[in-house]
Amino acid sequence: MTQHDQDAPVPGRRSVLKALTLAPAAMAGASVGLFGSRDAETGRPVLARAMAQDGERIKMAFIQWMPHTVPNAWSQGIDEVLKTQAVIDYALLDGQGKVEVQVSLMDTLINDGTKVIFLQPIDSVALAPSIAKAKREGIAVITLNIDATEPHAAHVEMNHYYGAMEIARVMGEKMGGKGKVAILNAPPGITIRDQRTNGFVEGMAAHHPAIEIVADQVADWDRKKAQDVLNTILAANPDLGGVYGVNDSMALGAVDVAKEKGLLGQMVIFGNDGEKDALASIEAGELTGTQYTDVYQQGRFAASAATVLATGLVSADAFGQQGRLLMPYLIATKETVGQIQPNQRW
Amino acid sequence: MSNTSARLALPLFFLAVLTAFCLAAPNFASAGNFENLMAGFSFIGILAIGQSFPILLRGIDLSVGAILALVGMCIFDLSLMFAVPGWAVIPLALLVGALAGAVNGLLVTVLRLSPFIATLATLAAYRGLVYAISGRQLVPGLSTKPITDRWITGFETYFDLARMLGLKGVVKLPWVPLSFLILLATLAVFYLLLAHSRFGRDLYAIGGNPEAARLAGIPVTRRTVAAYAISGFCAGLAAILLVARLTTSTEALGEGIELTAIAAAVIGGFSLAGGTGQLIGPVIGTFLLGVVLIGLTQMGISQFVQQILTGVILLAAVGNDRWQTSRTERRRTAPALTGGAA
Repeated sequence: MTQHDQDAPVPGRRSVLKALTLAPAAMAGASVGLFGSRDAETGRPVLARAMAQDGERIKMAFIQWMPHTVPNAWSQGIDEVLKTQAVIDYALLDGQGKVEVQVSLMDTLINDGTKVIFLQPIDSVALAPSIAKAKREGIAVITLNIDATEPHAAHVEMNHYYGAMEIARVMGEKMGGKGKVAILNAPPGITIRDQRTNGFVEGMAAHHPAIEIVADQVADWDRKKAQDVLNTILAANPDLGGVYGVNDSMALGAVDVAKEKGLLGQMVIFGNDGEKDALASIEAGELTGTQYTDVYQQGRFAASAATVLATGLVSADAFGQQGRLLMPYLIATKETVGQIQPNQRW
Repeated sequence: MSNTSARLALPLFFLAVLTAFCLAAPNFASAGNFENLMAGFSFIGILAIGQSFPILLRGIDLSVGAILALVGMCIFDLSLMFAVPGWAVIPLALLVGALAGAVNGLLVTVLRLSPFIATLATLAAYRGLVYAISGRQLVPGLSTKPITDRWITGFETYFDLARMLGLKGVVKLPWVPLSFLILLATLAVFYLLLAHSRFGRDLYAIGGNPEAARLAGIPVTRRTVAAYAISGFCAGLAAILLVARLTTSTEALGEGIELTAIAAAVIGGFSLAGGTGQLIGPVIGTFLLGVVLIGLTQMGISQFVQQILTGVILLAAVGNDRWQTSRTERRRTAPALTGGAA
């Protein structure tokens, strides 16, 4: 994993937050720079006018894994940026959780003259031949969260590894630096799972060596499944002091169990992603914390890159190396959650 | 409707839909699009051919998606974990598929389970087995390693039809994927088997009336096991093509694909009541579904609407089948009825 090799500093909470709130403004500025020169007669942006005169509309599409809060928020962010460009047609397509469907959709989009494809690949390898095919046709592919083994235009992901490390640090502090922790994990075979698990385990070892990870079990990203799994873990470890769910749904499942068994307040529970329900749970004093990423913003970043690529200034194969953007994040706890504005909640 | 016109109804409907999309959907009538159609749906066509055999015997095979995943994972493990050469992997993969199908057949005949229950059980069991043997989980790091064995990836080859016909530069023809040629070969072999062999006649007889077939001395058990084995074999063949296309296999491969295969077979004229159907039907049925999906996607119509439309086409096909059956029955019983009533 490339993150191991790099030694990036973990930014302070305040600066992260500043980045989160300033980014839309910065981006607006950037887009003014790109499209800001206006025609004196019509007042329309010059670039948009040039393309409109050609009569060419630019097609872009996002192939999601399956309907879920995260891709839904990405799509909203993407749409927000693209619809202002006036010459871009954007469509959201559903991969139905099946690689073969995603591959077929890729083929269709390539044939349909799509300029940019946003892709949340179900599998890093299985979509690689499709990405290679898109590249041959000069189509820019931007992956979201899950990278592909075939290099492509850009990859925008939540900061899985460093975020999970930071979760381990804050979680250990909340536990007083000692005790037993369980991980409610995703099914194997997905890079996100490995990045988050490795980050958490290594973060715990680095910051709180006295804390023991006693269980690491699969709960299928699912709230209900997480309840069952945690009940089993608690039977074996009644003195469990903390739970880390690698997504918020599983962490909220752990909250359900803690409530039911009267363990709320005794158990430190962390999630990951930062969806609306998780933030509300933190404010209600139930969930201890989560790694919050502004997923709308992630979509906006991807769409901004796409716009630059598709306006013909840069071609997809002009990159010697794939662009990579790790999203800024915030470890949301009772103390910090209030900093996340209502319009940043997804 | 006469027998001939009933047989022509599906191809004509297919052509009508195809023409409609060529006119309505932008970029639909392009060489690239037909290439995509062939590359993306040939393996489903093979699954539908396999599915037709159990349906012909009044049965069903719900486990084809799971068999597809099982064979896919076997290819993955053999190739990446054990470095078995591709020329040895391919026959083994087909064998695994056929055996998994034969187990279905044995459950249906020896244990006398209803095909629906038997294959529902093996659907769960085979899928569980896929997770248990998954090399993606047993060996960390393997999930991001593509299969590069030429024998396997060679199945994802395209032939330049225009060049072969000496029409290069004259017309733009789609490149034909090898998977489509394999579909045609599979169709030819099983069509001959079904239409012109003792085995085929036996299957129609069993599907028409199992008890009568038994009394006529047809080895019903052996034939039934063979029919389910053919379904499994086709799932294995489809798995090879799909793995070649993806250069990997996943645990969830082919989830829910049995429904598409069954739909294609039924649309293709294989009545769930058994005993009727020609193998060309399921192949046309598959491409009909493919044309609808791709065409609607290109027209920007929501995928939920696409699923609804697929359901409507299936309902129409089943409704047509019921109508035809009841007409035939009425015609057959009509003289007796009028005689009795008078």
